[in-house]
Amino acid sequence: MRFSLYEKVLLAVFLGLFGLFALTAPNFLSETNLKSMMVQMPELGLISLGMMVVILTSGIDLSITYISSLSGIAVAWGLVQGWPVPLAIAAGACTALLCGLFNGFFIARIGVSPIVLTLGSMLLFEGLALRVTKGGSISGFPESYYVIGGSSVGPIPLPMLFFIAAAIVTSVLLNRTVWGRSAYMLGSNPTAALYSGIPVRRVLIYVYLFSALMALIAAVIMTSRYNSGKVDYGSSYLLLSVAAVVLGGTSVRGGSGTVKGTVIGVCIFQILSSALNLYGLSPHIVNVMMGGILIVVLVANYLSEHIKHALHDIGRVLTGKASASS
Amino acid sequence: MTFALFLAACGSNNSAGGGQDNPAETAGSANTSSSGGDSAAGDKLTIAVVPKLVGIPYFNASEAGAVKAGEELGVNVIYTGPTQADAAQQVKVIEDLISKQVDAIAVAPNDAAALTPVLKKAKDAGILVMDWDTHADRSVVELSVNQIDNQMFGEHIIDRLVEHMGDSGEYAIVTGGLSASNLNTWIDFGQSYAKEKYPNLKLVTERIPSDEKQQVAYQKTLEILKAYPDLKGIAAYSTVAPLGAAQAVQEKGLQNTVAVVGTALPTDSGPFLEDGSLDVAVLWDPAKLGYLTVYLAKELLEGRAVTDGMDVPNVGKITVASDGITVVMGPPSDFTKDNYKDFDF
Repeated sequence: MRFSLYEKVLLAVFLGLFGLFALTAPNFLSETNLKSMMVQMPELGLISLGMMVVILTSGIDLSITYISSLSGIAVAWGLVQGWPVPLAIAAGACTALLCGLFNGFFIARIGVSPIVLTLGSMLLFEGLALRVTKGGSISGFPESYYVIGGSSVGPIPLPMLFFIAAAIVTSVLLNRTVWGRSAYMLGSNPTAALYSGIPVRRVLIYVYLFSALMALIAAVIMTSRYNSGKVDYGSSYLLLSVAAVVLGGTSVRGGSGTVKGTVIGVCIFQILSSALNLYGLSPHIVNVMMGGILIVVLVANYLSEHIKHALHDIGRVLTGKASASS
Repeated sequence: MTFALFLAACGSNNSAGGGQDNPAETAGSANTSSSGGDSAAGDKLTIAVVPKLVGIPYFNASEAGAVKAGEELGVNVIYTGPTQADAAQQVKVIEDLISKQVDAIAVAPNDAAALTPVLKKAKDAGILVMDWDTHADRSVVELSVNQIDNQMFGEHIIDRLVEHMGDSGEYAIVTGGLSASNLNTWIDFGQSYAKEKYPNLKLVTERIPSDEKQQVAYQKTLEILKAYPDLKGIAAYSTVAPLGAAQAVQEKGLQNTVAVVGTALPTDSGPFLEDGSLDVAVLWDPAKLGYLTVYLAKELLEGRAVTDGMDVPNVGKITVASDGITVVMGPPSDFTKDNYKDFDF
């Protein structure tokens, strides 16, 4: 696996923080804590993967956490009707894909700006979810459903395995398929993408379907782990996922970003929140730290690029050549 | 006095704590337990109190009470919770507290069902599990600390509303959130009571959610006032909804035509109580509730029973229901223009 300079820095930040917490945070390396970190991470991780693919195309999906809660409610509803688990999950999948198709259709075919459209669909999905549940939670699942969120394969919790698999699949799709390469191209230059014969609309629709699919997997884990389906599950992940994606080095202008970066971004947020809780610091401080690290890393990245360009320019002026060998 | 309590707490915990630890951890911590002052602090009971969310006046007040109890009773109190009212975040906080190996966790659930698996996990790890402020699943808690009797409280609010708007006319309900189970319980009790006792009251529309935000409650109330010009009263539930509703009434100058009654903290309500835009705030003292929660957790951890009519310092006599786990702190308090200055929360 090859890492860009930024990803190396990010990895170093992660390892540095991990080392620091291992030495100073009480019980950080205990089995309970390592396990609970691995159980907690996949929800944000999956939503971040979905968010990342959308941001690659210079879009944003503000409805992603509500797609998650709405499809989770569909799964919960199915389970409570006594449907077998696969059928209930299929009902959730249909819900999620319809939501994704809705976003994709209006953004790709009608050309509504993603931030406006998904803001609208966020309210729409939330409203639907509230209508169905009347704000309460749907609970009373069969025992077999808890296996998804509550069991482990060896030392690794099952949700973590889902996340690892989803990360690998996302990476392969983005790097090895025509769709993935097209998504990058669409983000870096939509006009060029259109004129080079890329089926822009279809690519975009699949992008929103993909993000809905990630939301669904997160929803299955959440409903299983929280023993119920409810409107606000995971609502706190919305902006956190954007932050994790951006921290992971994905450009908000689209066109560049990697799965590796996003995964490291999510890992950094996870160890920060766990360690700061173990220290017993106020939860507000956790937010301050996350915000602080995000800004510091982004500013450092911005500055380092500018310094690189500036040095490059100075070099060109000094040698008096139009295009120095760089 | 405090010092004596402190010593007593340490003494009793030495044996209890040793029994719970598994061998590996006991060996690991043996290095530190030999030094004097440090070990005393380390051996104190640690009680975690988890609110629905941190950083709102109500839960800040209960934090003050919980911390005060910690100081007076010689126990470590960790008061931590989610920064948004999201059950997912609250589950994480509890998972981290389990990793931290606290002695007791008392939680005010955002969603009872969502917490059941993690609370079971806590119980399996040998942690005393309680709920406070809002009920968790009955099967996982050893004790349930309630501020008031829900039915009495729901009916009390309707009585106060009628006292200020008269027993006939149109009224509306503004609530913190449609999914908050305690708010829904009060509203439901209040509604069935109103139907029976005050048949001439007319609820104009379904309960209106305000996202636990004053600003939202304010905007929604402006809309209601516009849509229902004959409105005579508003019952607002959650600690910020009454403030938003009163703000709207104040801005429209309707203090004398629209009565507002709600569940708000006295200090926040002050400016609105002064000019009558809020007629009465009904609540309990959240600081006492925080204190009581920590006090009872310590009693249980030290092997003492919690009994009906027990006199708790700083709180008063409490009632314990026949199931042995439901504790009620006492009757609700009314905060009005005349008495709100006597409270500091």
